[in-house]
Amino acid sequence: MTPVAECLAAFVFGTTTGLLVQRSRYCNVAALRDAMLFKTYRNTKAMLVAMMIMTLGFTAFISIGAGKPMQFDVGLNTFIGLFLFGIGMVLAGACTVSTWVKAGEGNLGAFWALLCTFAGMFLFSLLWSFTYWPPAPGTMTGRPNLAGLQFGFANAATLQLKTGIPAIVFGLVQALALYGIYRAILKRERAGAKATAPARDDGACEAWATADSVAAAVPGAAALAEPSA
Amino acid sequence: MEFFQKTLEPVIALAMIAVLDIFLFLVVGAWTVGGGETMMTGLIAKFFMGHAIYRIPFWKVAFPPDPYYWKIYISLGMVFGAFLGAVLSREFCWRMPHRLTEWIMITIGGLLMGIGIRLAFVCNVSTFFGLTPEMNLGGYLAVSGILAGTWVGTWIYKKTLES
Repeated sequence: MTPVAECLAAFVFGTTTGLLVQRSRYCNVAALRDAMLFKTYRNTKAMLVAMMIMTLGFTAFISIGAGKPMQFDVGLNTFIGLFLFGIGMVLAGACTVSTWVKAGEGNLGAFWALLCTFAGMFLFSLLWSFTYWPPAPGTMTGRPNLAGLQFGFANAATLQLKTGIPAIVFGLVQALALYGIYRAILKRERAGAKATAPARDDGACEAWATADSVAAAVPGAAALAEPSA
Repeated sequence: MEFFQKTLEPVIALAMIAVLDIFLFLVVGAWTVGGGETMMTGLIAKFFMGHAIYRIPFWKVAFPPDPYYWKIYISLGMVFGAFLGAVLSREFCWRMPHRLTEWIMITIGGLLMGIGIRLAFVCNVSTFFGLTPEMNLGGYLAVSGILAGTWVGTWIYKKTLES
C-alpha cells in the first residue's frame, strides 16, 4: 500500500469516527472520570463493548498472521506516561479523541487543549534529547532491559508463538473478562435504579464541568461551574 | 435526517468504530491519535524552525517529521467528521471557557497529556483500542497508569472546585 493510500484510508476512518463520536457524545474521559466521580457508566459500557469486539477481531486475525499490531518495547515509562496523561485529561476535561471532536464543533477550549498538548510534546522532545529515555524505537530489541527500565515486547502473537495456542483463545479469555466487568456494571446500575432516583447520566464531556454535574459531586461548587453550552 | 436529530447511543457508535478499527488494523494498523499529534508537533516545529529542528536529537532520531505519516490523517479526519456532524445537526457553535481557572486547568492538562503521550509512546486511544485488544503487555501497564492518573486527576479536580 502506498503512503498516499494509507493516508487516505486513515482519513476515511477518522472522518467516520469523528462523525460517530460527535453524534454519540462519546468521550474517554467521561468513560473513566464519570465512573469514578458520578458513578455513571454510559461511556464506560461503550468503551468495554468496543474493547470486546476489537479483542476478538484483532486476536482472530493475529492467529492467522494477519493485521499490523503495534511493535515497540514497553516499560516503566508506559505506566508513568499514562499516569500523567490520566491526570491531564481530567484537568483538561478532554482526551485525545474529544479534543479533536470538540474542536470540530467549535469549542475553543478544546483548540487550546490541543495546542497545549503539542507544546507538551515539544517540551518532552527537548527533555528526551538530554536523557535519551525511554529508548528510541530504532534501538528497541524486544527483550527486557532492566537498566533502561524496559520490559520488552509481548502481545497475543508472542503468546501464540511461545505456547502454540492460537491467539484467539487468549482473546476469548480477555473478552470474557471484559464482559464480566460489563455485567457487573449493569448489575450495579439496576441495583442503583431500584434503590434511588435516576442518577445523572447525560454523558456530558465538556472541556469544563457543567453546573449540575459539579453540584451533584461537589457540594457548594456550583458557583464555579459553567452552565451547559 | 433522523441520524442528525437524535443522539446516537454510544454503545452502538463504539461498536461500529470497533468494526472499522479491525479493518484499519488489517490495512495500516489500529486506531491511534498520539503518534499523529507528535508528527504534527514536529511538522509545526519544522515550519517555524526550518532545518534547525534536526539539531534537537528527538526529531532526528526518534520522530523525523514526515507529512505522509498516516496517523496524522486520522486526527484530521476526526476534526472534519465532527465538524460535518455538528453542522448537519445544527450543533456547531463557537464556545469558550469563561473563567481563568478553566483556562489554567486546560493548559496544565494539555501539557501533561502531551508529555505523558511522548513518555509512554501511547495515548489513551491506543491504550484502550489498540494495545489492550492486541493483548500487548504495554496495554495492561497503560491501563493501570491511566486509571491511577484519572483517580488522582479526579481528586485534584474536586479539590480545585471545592476551594
